[in-house]
Amino acid sequence: MAVRITGLGLISAIGLTVAENLYSLENGKSGIAPVKYLDSERDFLVGEVKCSNAELSDHLGIKAQPISRTSLLGLTAAREAWGNNRYTNELRTGIISATSVGGMDTTEQFYQDYLDKNDPDYAVLRCHDSGNTTERIAAELGISGYINTLSTACSSGANAIMLGARLIEQGKLDRVLVGGTDALTNFTINGFRSLMIYDDRWCRPFDESRTGLNLGEGAAFLLLENDKSIRFSGNSTICCLSGWANAADAYHQTASSPEGTGATMAIQNAIDVSGLSALDISYVNAHGTGTKNNDLSESTAMINVFGDNIPDFSSTKPFTGHTLAAAGAIEAVFSVLAIQKGLIFPNLNYKTPIAETGLVPIMELQKDQPVLAVLSNSFGFGGNNSSLVFSVHR
Amino acid sequence: MYINAASTISHQPTFQNAGFSKLIEPLENSSELISPNYKEYIDAGLLRRMSKILRMSVAAAKDCLKQAEIEQPGAIIVGTGLGCLQDTEKFLNTFLSVEGLLPPTSFIQSTHNTIAGQISLSIGNHGYNMTHTQNTLSFEHALIDTSLLLSEGRDNIVAGAADEHIPFLEEAAEKLNLPSKNNLTSGASFFVLSKEKSDRSLARLKDVRTIGLVQDIDTEIDSFLSDNFLNVSEVDLILYSDLSPRVESVANKYFNEHYHADSKMINYTKLSGLYPTNSAFAMHYGIDRIQQHPELKKVLVLNGLNKINLGLTLIESLET
Amino acid sequence: MDSLKEDLKKHIIEELNLEDLQVSDIDDDALLFSADGVGLDSIDALELIVLMEKFYGIQVTNPDEGKEAFLTINTMADYIEKKKS
Repeated sequence: MAVRITGLGLISAIGLTVAENLYSLENGKSGIAPVKYLDSERDFLVGEVKCSNAELSDHLGIKAQPISRTSLLGLTAAREAWGNNRYTNELRTGIISATSVGGMDTTEQFYQDYLDKNDPDYAVLRCHDSGNTTERIAAELGISGYINTLSTACSSGANAIMLGARLIEQGKLDRVLVGGTDALTNFTINGFRSLMIYDDRWCRPFDESRTGLNLGEGAAFLLLENDKSIRFSGNSTICCLSGWANAADAYHQTASSPEGTGATMAIQNAIDVSGLSALDISYVNAHGTGTKNNDLSESTAMINVFGDNIPDFSSTKPFTGHTLAAAGAIEAVFSVLAIQKGLIFPNLNYKTPIAETGLVPIMELQKDQPVLAVLSNSFGFGGNNSSLVFSVHR
Repeated sequence: MYINAASTISHQPTFQNAGFSKLIEPLENSSELISPNYKEYIDAGLLRRMSKILRMSVAAAKDCLKQAEIEQPGAIIVGTGLGCLQDTEKFLNTFLSVEGLLPPTSFIQSTHNTIAGQISLSIGNHGYNMTHTQNTLSFEHALIDTSLLLSEGRDNIVAGAADEHIPFLEEAAEKLNLPSKNNLTSGASFFVLSKEKSDRSLARLKDVRTIGLVQDIDTEIDSFLSDNFLNVSEVDLILYSDLSPRVESVANKYFNEHYHADSKMINYTKLSGLYPTNSAFAMHYGIDRIQQHPELKKVLVLNGLNKINLGLTLIESLET
Repeated sequence: MDSLKEDLKKHIIEELNLEDLQVSDIDDDALLFSADGVGLDSIDALELIVLMEKFYGIQVTNPDEGKEAFLTINTMADYIEKKKS
């Protein structure tokens, strides 16, 4: 399988564009810092996009309110990925976004006012539902027809990319904008704190001393096109999405199985779909959240699939924070950049291997690498595991 | 694809009640959810934490598997418009008003994919597990995903949709001036969809399409029907939702222009009450009608619950 | 001590939604996290930590400490007594 990727868009704690993100990755600049934009009680460490809602709206020229931060972030990335492409009746164009919080950033402010009987603005509830987030993005880009939203917690973004590829493979669409977006909210920060996996220090994926994650926010989109669409657009191919898979762990509501059952299936099946072998994978962009449970389970899954030949791997979450539904999409763009620029990104904040597995991630930026195929993992709540394989376009 | 099982828990006597379409009347304003004894379907350890939407969904999905005599489906695909509202509201209340440590259960169960996740967990299924949430088109998107999977070689897929009512919705609807003539209700409908026809098959799901930000409803319906080599006069039953006057007028127009003795038009929202994925109720209702009335060959579900979205689902009897 | 245990069981049944259980159904030395005992899981463990703070003002900061303390109703009651004294 091979679906061509012709456009990228990205906004995260380390930059407002793909180029800014790449610069931060190359220079080891993390975007995680004490909370500044979110109205929050404490100085949590978070990966915020360094822009207020007003600045994002201005930048996008958005007048119609209310609009959630999740939509604003999504639209910023979707516009960059869509670029100068034109709408045409001759091509079946779709959009699939992913979000876990939807308009919760506005709903939680509403609900505080509602509880305080402080003249709550009911109008913001119109942008609460996740589907609305995507409809706003589609409307601004002039896309109608196949408009869809997936919500499978932390694997959502990867699943949106996978669904888009399958729709193109089966000839249902000619091109599709795929990705995910999530704003930082008090709802999710408090949620992960209630699970006691929110780290008050910098997250340390794959390190023995890891104690949890830092949340982030952002959005990323990729444009996938078939041959017919490329004949029309004249876009050049950056690289290909060649493998994908989703599997359920069916172990626990929040925790991953210690054997990495679902993760192993997702990784193995995605590699099988790509037609490559495990030995062809040059780099793994791991899910690597920094929780005890995920990193151990993911390490075990990597050992299950790769045995003694573990490829170079790293988690880029110490740069961006864990951006939930956007994570799979943001890391998909990082994976494409790894292939495009011949880079392998470092796993910041790492010192000591996990005792049970002993795996050592890449700690320094690797340049001029022959990165031919990248595996990107996204594992979520409820045991929802997805893996994608990106490869060079031949 | 063939529909080999169907199960609905709703404000109507739909659960394990084949032939319900003959019995039910439009809902009264005071209607309530008709719940089965969930303990018969769900392990007590899981059940104790489950909100309404989870109970309805897991019970309906398991009922489907039993009907289809399948232990493990090839995948589990769920559509939900608003997701797990009860737990979302509970966690909002908790973290905005409690000082100190927060109980995690309602947060864990607030995410949309808890529904599909709990189904997989309760039967130990490792297959493809997906959650679509495109407000009124969430169910149709789940069906489209199902058809893709069947083409990719998976089989016997559990697909369905669910939404739950919480009292806050009435308040919000009133403040937002949303039409309040409908009951706001809860419902969950699940199905087993398979590639091949079997002895258990109830009907055939011929085609399903979603048009987001729809511009011309007439043209979209025409092209959907013509893509299925169908003249509108061949549709025996149109099930439509009435929130959008445009869809109602289009449906009316078709009905009047192409009326034939057996054709019928039914507003399904009056039967199911209003929730974002009630087109899943309509599909079960259509299947049940086909079972009860052998002369019914083709049923079209015209989902215009939200005026910016159009969902089209074509169901056929097995004799077609 | 007996009233503390009774109290504890009430809170556990309430906070963990153990709808089918009565106070009298939980033995003082039944293993809370064993399938043969009460059958609690890791989400319940987090709920117990919240419960300890909410009703007894005790902060269980170390999860490993929690594991030992939450073995049975007896160990939980001992833990509460010890922390309070």
